[in-house]
Amino acid sequence: MGGQGIERREILRFIGIASVAASFPGFHQWAFACAHHQEPAATAPIDAGPYNPLFFSPQQFRMVEHLAEMIIPEDDTPGAKKAGVAEFIDFMVANKVPVSASRDVRSTQDTIEMGNEAQSRFLAGLGWMNTRSHSEFEREFMDCTREQQNALLEELAYKAKFKPTTESGRAFFQMMRDYTVVGYYTTKVGLESLGYPGLRTVWPKMPSCPHPDDPEHTHLREP
Amino acid sequence: MTTKIYDAIVVGTGAGGGMAMKILCEAGLQVCAINSGPRTDPTEDFRQHRQVYDLKFRGYGNPLRFEGKAHQEPYSVEESEYSEGRDLFEHDIAYANAPGTDWYWKRCKATGGKANFWGRSSARYGDIDFKAADFDGFGENWPVDYAEISPWFSKAERYMGVASTIQNRPSNPDGEYLPPMPWRCIDHIIQKGAEKIGVPYLPDRCAQLTVDHYDHPACHYCGNCSRGCDAGSFFSPTWFTIPDAEATKNLTLLTNALVRSVITDENGLAKGVAYIDRGTRQEVEVYAKVVVLAASCVETAHIMLNSKSRHWPTGIANSSGQLGRNLCDHLYGSPGYGYLPRLLGQPATPDNIADSTVAWMPRWQNLKNPHEEQFIRGYSVYMGGGCGDFPGYYGQIEGFGLQFKHDIKRYYPTGIGALIQAPSLPSPTNYVDIDPDKKDIFGIPQLRFHFQWGQNELLMWEHSKRVMADLFKAMGGEMWGMDDEPNRPGTSLHETGVCRFGNDAKTSVTNKWAQTHDVPNLYICDASIFPSPTDKTTTMPIVAFTMRTCDHMLSNFKQGIHKRV
Repeated sequence: MGGQGIERREILRFIGIASVAASFPGFHQWAFACAHHQEPAATAPIDAGPYNPLFFSPQQFRMVEHLAEMIIPEDDTPGAKKAGVAEFIDFMVANKVPVSASRDVRSTQDTIEMGNEAQSRFLAGLGWMNTRSHSEFEREFMDCTREQQNALLEELAYKAKFKPTTESGRAFFQMMRDYTVVGYYTTKVGLESLGYPGLRTVWPKMPSCPHPDDPEHTHLREP
Repeated sequence: MTTKIYDAIVVGTGAGGGMAMKILCEAGLQVCAINSGPRTDPTEDFRQHRQVYDLKFRGYGNPLRFEGKAHQEPYSVEESEYSEGRDLFEHDIAYANAPGTDWYWKRCKATGGKANFWGRSSARYGDIDFKAADFDGFGENWPVDYAEISPWFSKAERYMGVASTIQNRPSNPDGEYLPPMPWRCIDHIIQKGAEKIGVPYLPDRCAQLTVDHYDHPACHYCGNCSRGCDAGSFFSPTWFTIPDAEATKNLTLLTNALVRSVITDENGLAKGVAYIDRGTRQEVEVYAKVVVLAASCVETAHIMLNSKSRHWPTGIANSSGQLGRNLCDHLYGSPGYGYLPRLLGQPATPDNIADSTVAWMPRWQNLKNPHEEQFIRGYSVYMGGGCGDFPGYYGQIEGFGLQFKHDIKRYYPTGIGALIQAPSLPSPTNYVDIDPDKKDIFGIPQLRFHFQWGQNELLMWEHSKRVMADLFKAMGGEMWGMDDEPNRPGTSLHETGVCRFGNDAKTSVTNKWAQTHDVPNLYICDASIFPSPTDKTTTMPIVAFTMRTCDHMLSNFKQGIHKRV
């Protein structure tokens, strides 16, 4: 699920041509926004007590939060946890917003069906992870060591480590990764982690390429 | 009580209708403009400065927002959570697709229409387009040539403000331009690669204000143009033509008025229009000496096909039988996307703040000889990329964790992609008609589409994929892939042809002035008159041809052919 659809969607968004975007309501629907609201309240990390999940059980929610942080960890910029990605996932899944849709949305019925599908895939996927961790390490995923958790994810995330029996786990991981990436890079901290300098309302002019002596850009050095 | 009669009715307030009402009002005519939906309010409706994280659903929109509507498919890109809550797009009126057709009909019903959100590419058509039939023997020439339309292109460009450069390519005539958009790193790299394979890569003709233009401020580069501009820094009816028309005090603007048909007098001439008031659901008639239809290409044909009377049993002004026929569109799709390894890890630069077609590959095929290629005519390609907002390429990167996060940032400046713009050719099997069974919620018979891509444009599509493979090699890029198939027809918003103009009343709906052959006081001011889509976009030519049509109409008023009230 999601494979081909996602790839197509990505492209349409990233090539940055509005009119190219085709027929799905996903990634291209939001665009870059410019910093307008300066109130820190809108962007501060969530610290107003424990979050009450709308869809997941508290245990499931902690596992989603943990998986999201494994996918996008904190380094010199905040990770998925601080960015509130688990809340985002819970909210979107609860409201049946098909973030990682497997097909075009043509009607409200399509949206609801895909939203229902996402709900059951999340529940089944989290269950699959626990079943897998039991069969590999004889304990719940959250009770595994960090090394064991990494090993469990690696066999779902890297082609070289794929096993024939983990197909449904791989599909869940891909969906989990889609929701995590979308959730992270639609937050202020996520966008800032990319260093994107457009987070403002007004540019006095459009800056041009700073390498006039090297039009082919063959002499750039990676920092 | 005497019934009010206007000098002119203009149906639709988009690129064509807005310009028509401006010109007619400024000439002193009493004009009634009729708009299908509500009035656009830039301060309320264009919320493009909002952050994506300030939107409740992060841009996806409320999933239940179209519940109960007759047409529930969302219209990407123009319609989004940035304008949610206002009833700007058409979801109350459904349309039909014939079996095998999958037309995507995106409709903005608010004043200004799709021209609030357009892509702004504004190339001139040339004789290579107007006289294409002479060159390759297919179809018919346009009833105008470049020498005749060129001054109108100039007028349109001067009014709208178009940024570009002088390029001396006969297939893409130069115009009157504002300073061009500066080039980004990706543009220089692509240009050098394109040069190696003999493909032009040049500044696009972009209707975006790089400098102040009359009362309109220069672009502030917030990068979200497709959500509508809050400053009026690119041409749109909302910021340009509608305020000009209203300043004359000669305009009556009716909103939420869905035109059903043109009504005729005892001689079969246009007497006015009948519309449905969306609020009361009552049918209302308005009368005028001249009726201008500018409802957007296929909606104009829809209204005319639904305007049946004793004189016009198959729709008004359809003695040729061409009304609704010759539906054309631009084939869109990405024939190649990938990345530029030499930009890996470079600091992020604001590459998408113009949110625009900074540069493009104007048609280069079949220029010397109309049969150089397996296909006739030609296509153009837009290139985009660099740092955007969301890192949509993440699916190309395997794994998770610190390395994954690091790579997402490392690839951020590198992504590029192509968009083909390939014109379809008129075909007897591509047309619109009235669905015999289906009616909308107001009882108006629905429009039905019949459309398939033809062999010629599909050959262009295949050709463009080979060119992109060569280009990526030549510029040192790595290709990630391409679209499996073209986008759905209708995606480009560049439909043409359903009321095509021509000199022969037997084979065309209007004459060269966009005045219907059959009904001299019925004019058309949208892309439905264009017999073919060319490899260029439609908005600027709609504006230019509308200026010319209105000039002709005013001279007909002056000569007494049309009488003022």
